[in-house]
Parts: sequence; structure tokens; C-alpha cells
Amino acid sequence: MQGGTEIGPGGNGLPLNRDVLWYKDAIIYQVHVRTFHDSNGDGIGDFRGLEEKLDYLQELGISAIWLMPFFPSPLRDDGYDIADYNAVHSSYGTLEDFRKLLGSAHDRGIRVIIETVLNHTSDQHPWFQESRSSQDNPRRDWYVWSDTDTRYKGARIIFLDTETSNWAWDPISKSFYWHRFFSHQPDLNYDNPAVREQMWNVMKFWLEMGVDAFRLDAVPYLVEREGTNCENLPETHDVLKELRRKLDEKFPGRMLLAEANQWPADLRPYFGDGDEFHMAFHFPLMPRMFMGLKLEDRKPITEILQQTPEIPSSCQWSLFLRNHDELTLEMVTDMERDYMYDAYAESKTMRLNLGIRRRLAPLLDNDRRRIELMNGMLMSLPGTPIVYYGDEIGMGDNINLGDRNGVRTPMQWNGGWNGGFSTADPERLYAPLIQDPVYGYPAVNVLSQRGSEHSLLCWMQRIITVRRSTGVFGRGSIEFLYPANHRILAYVRRLGNEAVLVVNNLSSTAQAVELDLRRYKGNILIEMFGKNMFPRVGDLPYLLTMGPYQFYWFRLRRI
Amino acid sequence: MKLAEESYLTDDFLRQLINVGEVDILVGLPTHNNAKTIGSIVHTIQSGILRGFPRERAVIINADGGSRDGTPELVTGVSIDDVRPASNLYALRTLHSISTKYANSPASGVAFRTILAAAELLRAKACVVMSPESANIEPEWLSQLLRPIYRDGFDLVTPTYRRHKFEGLLITNLLYPMTRALYGLRIREAYSLEFGFSGRLGSQFLGQNVWNDGTDGAGVELRFTLAAITGRYRICQSFLGEKEHIERRAADLVPALRQIVGALFSALEPDFPVWSAVAGSQPAPTTGADQEVLLAPVRVNRKRLREMFSTGVAELESVFQSILSPSTLAELQRIARLGEEEFHYPAELWVRTVYEFAASYQKSVISRDHIIQALAPLFRGRVFTFLMENRNASADDVENNIEGLCLEFERLKPYLLQLWKSRE
Repeated sequence: MQGGTEIGPGGNGLPLNRDVLWYKDAIIYQVHVRTFHDSNGDGIGDFRGLEEKLDYLQELGISAIWLMPFFPSPLRDDGYDIADYNAVHSSYGTLEDFRKLLGSAHDRGIRVIIETVLNHTSDQHPWFQESRSSQDNPRRDWYVWSDTDTRYKGARIIFLDTETSNWAWDPISKSFYWHRFFSHQPDLNYDNPAVREQMWNVMKFWLEMGVDAFRLDAVPYLVEREGTNCENLPETHDVLKELRRKLDEKFPGRMLLAEANQWPADLRPYFGDGDEFHMAFHFPLMPRMFMGLKLEDRKPITEILQQTPEIPSSCQWSLFLRNHDELTLEMVTDMERDYMYDAYAESKTMRLNLGIRRRLAPLLDNDRRRIELMNGMLMSLPGTPIVYYGDEIGMGDNINLGDRNGVRTPMQWNGGWNGGFSTADPERLYAPLIQDPVYGYPAVNVLSQRGSEHSLLCWMQRIITVRRSTGVFGRGSIEFLYPANHRILAYVRRLGNEAVLVVNNLSSTAQAVELDLRRYKGNILIEMFGKNMFPRVGDLPYLLTMGPYQFYWFRLRRI
Repeated sequence: MKLAEESYLTDDFLRQLINVGEVDILVGLPTHNNAKTIGSIVHTIQSGILRGFPRERAVIINADGGSRDGTPELVTGVSIDDVRPASNLYALRTLHSISTKYANSPASGVAFRTILAAAELLRAKACVVMSPESANIEPEWLSQLLRPIYRDGFDLVTPTYRRHKFEGLLITNLLYPMTRALYGLRIREAYSLEFGFSGRLGSQFLGQNVWNDGTDGAGVELRFTLAAITGRYRICQSFLGEKEHIERRAADLVPALRQIVGALFSALEPDFPVWSAVAGSQPAPTTGADQEVLLAPVRVNRKRLREMFSTGVAELESVFQSILSPSTLAELQRIARLGEEEFHYPAELWVRTVYEFAASYQKSVISRDHIIQALAPLFRGRVFTFLMENRNASADDVENNIEGLCLEFERLKPYLLQLWKSRE
């Protein structure tokens, strides 16, 4: 298919929305191919397995899937150490399998976002093997080499638990190479035009195949300069703008999503003037949602959103509660981090780097009300929500597995053999299933929740349906109401003539709140889940009583 | 019991309390026309909360007695953001400041009752009352008064201070020695404008019948301390630092006596079963340093004190005849005739005087207010002697003299019991 042409309807599925701003209305489901479903019984999830489960995702109501790296890799960093950008890891199937998955997803109206890593490769990548082979190799300059390990001292070490320097000694070429992440992940040299051209070719390869978007990992670190912290440099933005320009030229309607764990003000430049990334993760918001819930106080949430700068109209924040990484606490103050550790990771084994390696349900003590409230905020705050696989059924984690593998265990489809994930012997699974009495697959699985109208899964389907019933959540403005009761987080989302009032009770106890809705005098409130009417807004403060962790979405109707 | 009673909390205040919700820490701030100092005091309180209790749910409750200088607006208008940049402090939570005006004229009892009611409604775990007059308040005072309650399970924390040896003479010459002798616990500042207390003690006291005696709760803070002792709550003292001198006029003495001595004497009747069974005294647990005495020279008009004593003894003879025993009155009349150099109001005579006043206070033959007023000239005479005895005394000497007076109060306690029984 020629780039630039929109992907059309296929099979008996839904046509894909041709709106170039489709990502603003999207609900994204994040999944690793390896974890979802194993079609060939080798214990590892694969493309065919994922394709078999597309009906489930369509039923859930999501509109895009984000696939974590599936390229050939020594898998020393769960695929983020890529050894070949133009192929797929054999464990997951073939390139043809991927093409088929892509087509099937599009047939169901589901877009496919793939993930790649621009900043570094695996040390097993042929480019690095060539580069280290001799000082004269044509690819020598594709990586950042040095005779000393003293350059770029201003750059922090990101993986504090495992790395002591951003330089690693290469015994073959007898020099140091630069790496911002693990030492087996050498950084590419973006000062080299050949590298930039090559990485565009990589993206083009997949875009031509039909992928809808890229989630680009670790983008702040592309370029290094002496005397700086080597993050968010103007030269890095130049590289990214060049990629975006080419994307728009050849593939309009495709999207770039930035992974840049930065403060909102530092993130803002990644949107440029609408000419860099379409979307970026709002990293600082996520821990503050958890903090606000534990503190029973809206302050952390409203404060960070007040500090969030305006972004170009074509751009969008990406919101999430949990993902494949630790719940990162890099973007909080020391005091907030200490509080988060005490509140959510009492055991040291739950902590990793500067974060907490736990899933949503265990973080929230498996409290259904809190899980719903957090998802309610995720779906109603400004941005595109991302649901991490398994969180829709309340899957648990296994903190006894190393690194972040405890939140990357197999999807739990039913209570049968291997939880329906694979027919392999359990010993052959890439990771053990969760088996504890509370979160284990016999108790928490898709099949059992499908059969119960009141399950978390069915509730997630409902909230996604309600969210998708209006464009206001994806594209609307936000106006915070500041009721005197600080346990209540309330805001009005507006788009054109449409307005939705969202009221969240962050408290574990029932609360009364008076809202100043005089601006909306005369409107009737219609609760969006049950579609029941609430009293008309008048001159007096609008009184609501709310149960513990309850939230309301009201459509404001002038009738 | 009336089920429907007019509430002393306004609807607006209740609405504010609903919005605050449950708290861990409550700071009560009674005010009346304190606009000059209140801003910096609230800043200090906020700093104290952020430093000592950054994670806790906290509220500042201002109970105002009808200020006309904008004090309540200043309390609620102080922004936490003003504190943060200077002190590099950060608030995890919303820190509330709310204010209410009570209906009557300024009265510390009404303010305290309002604060106690708020503490109960908000289920506050640890509370502290701060004085708007303490110009030298430090952020650490919050922790020093609250931490023993919040972390160590105490129910009442009274302060100790670094004071000048001639500051707080009503405390050193009457309140401290008498409460210690009667209630058996050595609490240096049983009546204080700054103190911490637990929510459970606050709730228990709120339910006591001390609020409708027509005094607007004057001296109720002392009754609170005594209630904590008689209720066997856990009490400790905490050293706060220097207590800045507050300039007082001679005319301030009678209101102070009403507030402090009146409250103490009023408590003796209901507390009789407790204090009559107590012998000796025990030290109260203390955190931080012991109280300290400053020795810098100060000017005191001793001559006027003695004159007021002598005049009072002469003019109030008929009143004293109803209050004092003939021997005590005769002795007072004798020393009233002495010249300045010979004048001496000995400890034993002072203790007998006080005990006879206390017993007489219960008889109600003459107005209680007259009794309290009649004590004023005698107290001035005792102060004259204290000043003379200690004018060149070291800190240790002053403490020894106060200790001696305390022991005299303890030694003569049987005399008070005898008076009490003869009264019956």
C-alpha cells in the first residue's frame, strides 16, 4: 500500500476513522505480543495468538493497540534491545503473521501502534558489531565512542540499580561507548546523517506495511552535548522534527507518540508547533493520581494539571495508570516519592529504580471502587487513555520475578490449563502465570468475568462505551471547579455546545459537596451511565452527596 | 435533655467543617482584634505543620470574638504559597484555614468550646491551641505540642517556657504550687494559652458541664487541664523556648485572678473526691529541656505593690472577716503596718490565706467575684515579698524558693481539708 493513503475498511469489520486526528478519540490498549496468547503451544505469545484475540479487544471497545517491541533481540531488556529493525522476533511468528494481524485489526476498526527505539540498539545489532570491529569501519561513527569515560559528565544515570556510568568499555575496539540505559544498549550517534537516514528508512518500512503509529522510546536522549545534561537538547528536537516532516509528507494521518519521562514544561517542546510529536505521555500526572487517591486530596492532581502547558490543537496528551514499566517516580519531589513508597510499596521488593513495579489492582488493594475511580479519571481527564493489558480484569503481579517481569506475566483468559494462555507445559511458559489465591488465573480471568454482568471487565466495557459516546473527553477543554471540599475533584469538559461535568470523590468515606454551577444555570444534569436526570442547575450551589470513591459523569443539557 | 437546642456553631461554620472533613491535626486559633500579628502567626503555624506533619490532614480553625480589624480575613487569606518559597517547604495536601465568629463578646471559653466542637466533628487525632498574642512563636512549637500526642499517645501537652524570674508570678506563687499540692501532679503551666490535646480528651471535656455557668467559660483552659488530671489522662510537658514578655497593667490583675484563680477554685468542689485523696506530688513527664529562668534586671514598682496591699487590708476588713480566719486576718493586719524594709509576707501565711479564700469561695456567703477581687491586694503583698526575696537570686535560688512554696502548699493541704470539712 502506498503511504499517504488511508487504510480503508476491510472484511466485515468497521471502517477506520479517516480523521487525521483519530488519536485524540482513541482508547489504546497496550500489550506485549509475548504475553497475550500463544497460538502454537511453545509457551510464548505470538502474532497469531494476538490475532485470535482481536474479537475480545473489539468487544472491550478499544480502538488501537500498542504493541511493545517485537523485533529480533537478545531480550536482555524485554525487546527494547533491538538487534534488527526490519524483522520480527521468531518467537512471535513471521513478518507475514504480523501483516495478517495488521489487516485483521484494521478490519475491526482497530489501529496498530508499534514501538521502536530510536536512541539505542542492542550490542548484538550488526551495526554495532561492525562499528566496534575497527576504528576504520564505515559504521564506526554510527555510535558514540570515546577514548575516555569522562565526557558528558552532566548526564544522569537512569538505571541507578544496575549501572554506575553512562560509558562502557569495549574490549574489542579498546574504547568507551556511550549508553544512557543498560550497557548492552549502545546509543546511536544522531550527529551522523547516515544514522538519521537509516532510522527513517526503518520507520518507512513499517509505515508502508500499514502501521498507524509509532511509540518512540526514550526520545530525550538522542543527541549529546558537552556541558549539558544531554536531555531535551535542541539538536534532538531537530532530529525529531525531520522525522515528522517526512512522516507528514509521505504518510499523513499516521501518528508519533513520544516516550519522554519529563516535567510538563520540558515535554512541551516535543509537540513543537504541531510539527514534532502528535502525542506524548503525561508522566507526572500518573503518580499524582495515585497520590491524590491515597491522600484523599485533589491537590496533587490539580496542581500538576495547572502546571501543564497548553499544547497545539493537533496534539494530545497520552494518559495511563499502569504500563509495562515500574510506576515511575522520577517526576515527583523527594517528599512525594517517600510518601508514594510508604503508601504503595511498603516492601522494598516492590521498588525498582525510582519507581514501584506493581500492577493497578494490587496497588489499589484490589478495591473495586478505587479501581473504577482511577479508570474513571483516566477516561475523563484531557488526553487519550491507555489501558495496560490485564488491568481490565484486575490482574495481579508477581514481585518475585526480577526486573519489571512481575507485571508482564501471561494474560489470564480462563481458569483452565495455563489460564488459557498456552497449551505448552507450564514449565515452558516464558513466565509463570499468577497463581496466588486472590489474583491467580482461576480467580481472575476473562471467561469468568465475561459471564458476570457486574464484573470489572463488563464495567470497563461500559465505561469505554460511554467515553466513546462523546468527543468531549478526547477533544474538549477542561475547566476545574474548586469546591471547598478538597476531597472532590470536579471539572467540566466542553466541546462546542457539549459539556460534561465530572465529579470524583477521592475519599474513602461519603462526602457532601457544593458545586458552583451558576455558569450552567438552567441545565439539567443527565448521569451518563444510567441516563437518569438530576435536578436543574439554579442559582444556589449544586449539592451532591457522593459515596466512597464514587464518581459521576453528567451531561449538561439545556432543555 | 433538650433534643433541639440552639447550636453555638453557625451553619456557615458547619458548611466549612463539612468541606474540611476528617483531619489528623487541628490547630485552634482564638482571636480578637489581632490583625497586627496574626498574619505572621498563621505563617508560622503553616510552617510548623509542613515541617512536622507534611503528610497529615491538617486544618487551622480560627474562632474569632468579633474582631473589627479584619483578623479572620487575614487568617483565611494567608496562602501556603507565601510560606513555601522562603522555607523550601512543600505541602502534599490541601492545608485548610477556616474561620468563624461566635455571637457573644470575646471570651476564650466560647472560642475554646468552638475549637473543641470542631475537633470532635472533624475527628481530629491531635489538636493544639495557639495564642495570637505569642509574638515569638516558632514553627517547632507545633511539633513540640503535637508530637507527644500524635506519636506517643499522650492526651495533654502543657508547655514550659524560658521565662524571666519575675514573669508569671500568679503561676509561680499560686497556680503551680496549689494545683500541684491538690492534684498531685507537677504541671508548671496548668493554665496556658498554648497547649496540645488529643481528640478523645477534647471530646470528653466538651461533654462536661462546664460551659453554662455564666462565665463564658473564663479560665476553662485550666479546667481542661484539671479534667485531664482527674480523668487520669496521659499528660506531659514540653519545653517551647522563651515566652516573650507581655506588658500588663495593674488593672489586668483582677481579670487574671477571675480567669485563673476563679477557675481553680470553681473546680475544687466537683473535684473534691479526687484531690482530697491525693497526698504529695509526682513530676509530670517532660520532653525537651526543663523550664528555664532568665535573670535580666527589670524595673518593678515594689513600693506601689506594698501600698496597694496595706490599703486593701484596711479597706476590705469587713470582707476579709467573712473570708479569713481571725488569726490570719490579724497577721495580715500586723504586716500591713510594717515599713517597706521590714515587710514580709511569709509563705505559710500566704498558703493559709489562699486556702481560706478557696474554702470561702465554696460557701458563697458573699459574691464569688468579690472574693476574687479581695484576693488582689493580698496577692500584691505576696508578690512584693517574692520580689524582695529573689531580687538578687540566681536561677537555682529562684527555683528553690518556688519549690519551697510548693512544699508549703503540700504541707498545709490538711488545713484546707479541715476547712472544707468544717464548711460542711
